[in-house]
Amino acid sequence: MMLFYFQRLIEIYPFFLKGLWMTVAVAGISLVLATILGLLLGLVRASENKFLVAIVGVYVAVIRGTPFVVQIFIVFFILPEWGIQLDAFPAAVIALTILGTAFICEIVAGGIKAVPKGQWEAASSSGLNLYQQLRYVVIPQSLQTILPPLVGQYVLLIKDSSVVSVIGVVELTRVGWVTVNRIPEGLMVFSLVGLLYFSISYPLIRLSNRLEKKMATQQVML
Amino acid sequence: MIKFNGVNKWFGKLHVLKDIDLHVTSGEVVVVCGPSGSGKSTLIRCINRLEKFQKGELFVDGTPLHDHSTNLTKLRAEIGFVFQQFHLYPHMTALQNVALAPINVRKMKRADAEALAHEKLDRVGLADKADAHPTQLSGGQQQRVAIARGLAMSPKIMLFDEPTSALDPEMIGEVLDVMVKLASEGMTMCVVTHEMGFARQVAHRVIFMDEGSLVETGNPHDFFANPQTDRAAQFISKILTH
Repeated sequence: MMLFYFQRLIEIYPFFLKGLWMTVAVAGISLVLATILGLLLGLVRASENKFLVAIVGVYVAVIRGTPFVVQIFIVFFILPEWGIQLDAFPAAVIALTILGTAFICEIVAGGIKAVPKGQWEAASSSGLNLYQQLRYVVIPQSLQTILPPLVGQYVLLIKDSSVVSVIGVVELTRVGWVTVNRIPEGLMVFSLVGLLYFSISYPLIRLSNRLEKKMATQQVML
Repeated sequence: MIKFNGVNKWFGKLHVLKDIDLHVTSGEVVVVCGPSGSGKSTLIRCINRLEKFQKGELFVDGTPLHDHSTNLTKLRAEIGFVFQQFHLYPHMTALQNVALAPINVRKMKRADAEALAHEKLDRVGLADKADAHPTQLSGGQQQRVAIARGLAMSPKIMLFDEPTSALDPEMIGEVLDVMVKLASEGMTMCVVTHEMGFARQVAHRVIFMDEGSLVETGNPHDFFANPQTDRAAQFISKILTH
């Protein structure tokens, strides 16, 4: 019987590939957006404007302090209240972006604050404007601190993207649910789902580890 | 060139600069000395507005620094600043450190800026270290790169905040030599230092600060031989006998 279900599972593999592709799409778009927004908010969070620092702080605290599944329901149900009808896919991207931005913003702010104050002073003393100070002096140095945890955060966000199945996005996890209704071998089905997640995550984990090692040796060299 | 009129600064409740009046003319070399915590670093850090002050007026090359609409970026491009801890950019070579501001602030072509950087490194005796990273250089060499970095902007004023205090004794001379040469070429300089040999040799004026006040000012010969205040006399005897 198991063999039979296994063959059924193999037969419907295009369904799983579609789910995998949807996971990559939802997570990929969100990661790009969250990286851009996280960088911007991270700069604000590391700035000296106490008011803006506090506002971003509240945002980060709220996002970190509530479950993602609750956040995604709020995004999914609050927009229709304001008369905006969103499909599940854009709602998922928005929710995941909001989540990712909060974590990436903290990573970026930490990296920027790790650059000694003297570097800012030297750069501003030589007449570089704020953008140039960041672009040429501060950000290149903070990348050492930022990149390894940033890639690690990508892995977490890809895994968190499984939660968007609750609003009906047919991504990998949802594909698993639907399949179990037809092939009642839950362990087999979700092992496959897990394996597919792992196939995206593992290269990133390796990359994060490699970056960490590379940055560590570079720091010695610098 | 630099004019303080009744400048006051507080760090919270701490009154760190008290009614500073000071006028530094073009081409003048002024040495600022005093015990630690006397406000001397804060004083010269006000000149390029690394520190804000709350009361009084400060003009640098005619630009009012007490005016908050002053374009600091433009002003700072005209003032070189050398830090105690060098603060070279660790991810760049010596040459890139020196060429960065000329390329981005003066909008020089890369090749021209690099030629300029080579010239300035040569001037501080480090022509052969252009491609070295800061960690491959000794403290004295790093500080000379930092001076070259300041000079590359053709500044009107050079500020030095204890430039030799973080150096091993055998490296102090090489940095002071560069500064002496610079002074002899007519650069306007404000130097916070305890190097009294340097003060005697090149300073036009020595300023003694204590507890945020400008206590005494005079030419180096008179100041060392004949201090007018007890506090200055005490300070001189301490640094000369230690």
